Amino acid sequence: MLRSCTAGLRSLWALRGRREGAARLSADLQPARRLFSTEKAVHKDWALPNPSWSKDLKLLFDQFMKKCEDGSWERLPSCKHTCTYKSEDFKTYFLDPQLVEGEGLSQAQLFTRGFEDGLGFEYVIFNNNDEKRTVCLFQGGPYLQGIPGFLHGGAIATMIDVAFGSCAAISGGAVMTANLNINFKRPVPLCSVVVIHSQLDKLEGRKLFVSCNVRSVDEKTLYSEATGKKLPLAILSLVSAVWGVFVWGGVELVWFVLVF
Amino acid sequence: MLRRGFQMAVILGHHGTLPGATHLLPRFNPASAFGSSTESLVSRFCQEMTKTKNYALPNASWGPDMLSLYHEFLEKTKTDGWVRVPSFRSNRDHIRGFKLPLELSANSDKSDWRLFTRCIEREGQGFEYVIFFQPSEKKSVCLFQPGPCLEGVPGFAHGGSLAALIDETFSKTACLSGEGLLTLNFNIRFKNLIPLGSLAVLNVNVEKIEDQKMYLSCVTQSRDQQTVYAKASGTFLQMQLEEESSQQ
Repeated sequence: MLRSCTAGLRSLWALRGRREGAARLSADLQPARRLFSTEKAVHKDWALPNPSWSKDLKLLFDQFMKKCEDGSWERLPSCKHTCTYKSEDFKTYFLDPQLVEGEGLSQAQLFTRGFEDGLGFEYVIFNNNDEKRTVCLFQGGPYLQGIPGFLHGGAIATMIDVAFGSCAAISGGAVMTANLNINFKRPVPLCSVVVIHSQLDKLEGRKLFVSCNVRSVDEKTLYSEATGKKLPLAILSLVSAVWGVFVWGGVELVWFVLVF
Repeated sequence: MLRRGFQMAVILGHHGTLPGATHLLPRFNPASAFGSSTESLVSRFCQEMTKTKNYALPNASWGPDMLSLYHEFLEKTKTDGWVRVPSFRSNRDHIRGFKLPLELSANSDKSDWRLFTRCIEREGQGFEYVIFFQPSEKKSVCLFQPGPCLEGVPGFAHGGSLAALIDETFSKTACLSGEGLLTLNFNIRFKNLIPLGSLAVLNVNVEKIEDQKMYLSCVTQSRDQQTVYAKASGTFLQMQLEEESSQQ
């Protein structure tokens, strides 16, 4: 548990620092943000249109980009990999050396960004920080099938989890999923576009309760509803977080952990 | 009618429900009782198909833990009535000779479309798993080794990938245990992260069958059971497949 808590803290921070699901930091925490502006790797932003996007998806994307113009909404960039140099430190300290040495691990990439254009998850997330809600536009490709012709429930669950993470991160910073509950109403046709509306329902101590619904583009069809509970990584084990910080030795990071 | 119920077998996938699921209940034949039909479902569904690749077999990417536990269960298929469930690239391969109920068959699929948990072809990169089913107890064990393409938190499997595999195991178990077809509800509580390349063991049980709904539970843990990765529950709607007519 110690290992995985620290792992979670470190990696979620790296993952969400300036990308999809970015932790929203207050002005007080600006030094921590600068730590990540020195990342060595330059990553392509996958939350942008490509030829596999259907007309529906492109239309919705344009509508939300318009909403971003006045600053009330923002589009979250999305990368295929986490910050590689920090991942290497992390893996050395916290993972079984045998697992680290295996070639497979060096090819790791974010699950939802590991497909060729159009075959898997095509999605983009827009945040509304003032209203503490997000909208995820999602087109599930032909490699996400469950029942022939329909999207796999596990793919829907994955996207709901991603949407929840972005929504919770607005208020909670680096978070991890504790619980996910989904009611399926209708199967989603494969290769169609759905809109996942997520919102923060309540903050109870350090727990964040989020809910969402998954609808068709015209909003007329409700595919599923879900609730989730997220926890800030620091609550899982403050001891492990401090230990992790000691190993990494970053002053800004210490500050970040203690604040949370 | 009874015979058709017995021939129902097979798989299917999962998820979703039809419009107004609660009053959907299409033509369910109560005469196809669950106890005796489980064996029929298994014999119909768990046949090896020579022309279709079965992914539920060891390959070079399987670690020693996965391999040794696989062989333990393989022994149990000879001695204790366990069944190794074959796994194909699409659920369409699982329902040869049958078709989905009308409401679900409107959406056609293409031959190169893939089951989500078999989406990554390269050995060891995505979902490496095999499901063993025990018909007399209506329970399953799934051995899961997540590859680097399933990463969420660096070095660990994405929560969504585990959710997908639990749902997949639920689906196969529900189908073999009593024609459970569509997921109505799915709940998962995450406890710990699964390191990529390590073995996680999913234990699935059918808790109850009532009013055309099947209730299943799952505990996912390390092989030595010292670490619990997640606990989950799912509710499935029972629906019968239809035999394809000879014209099709």
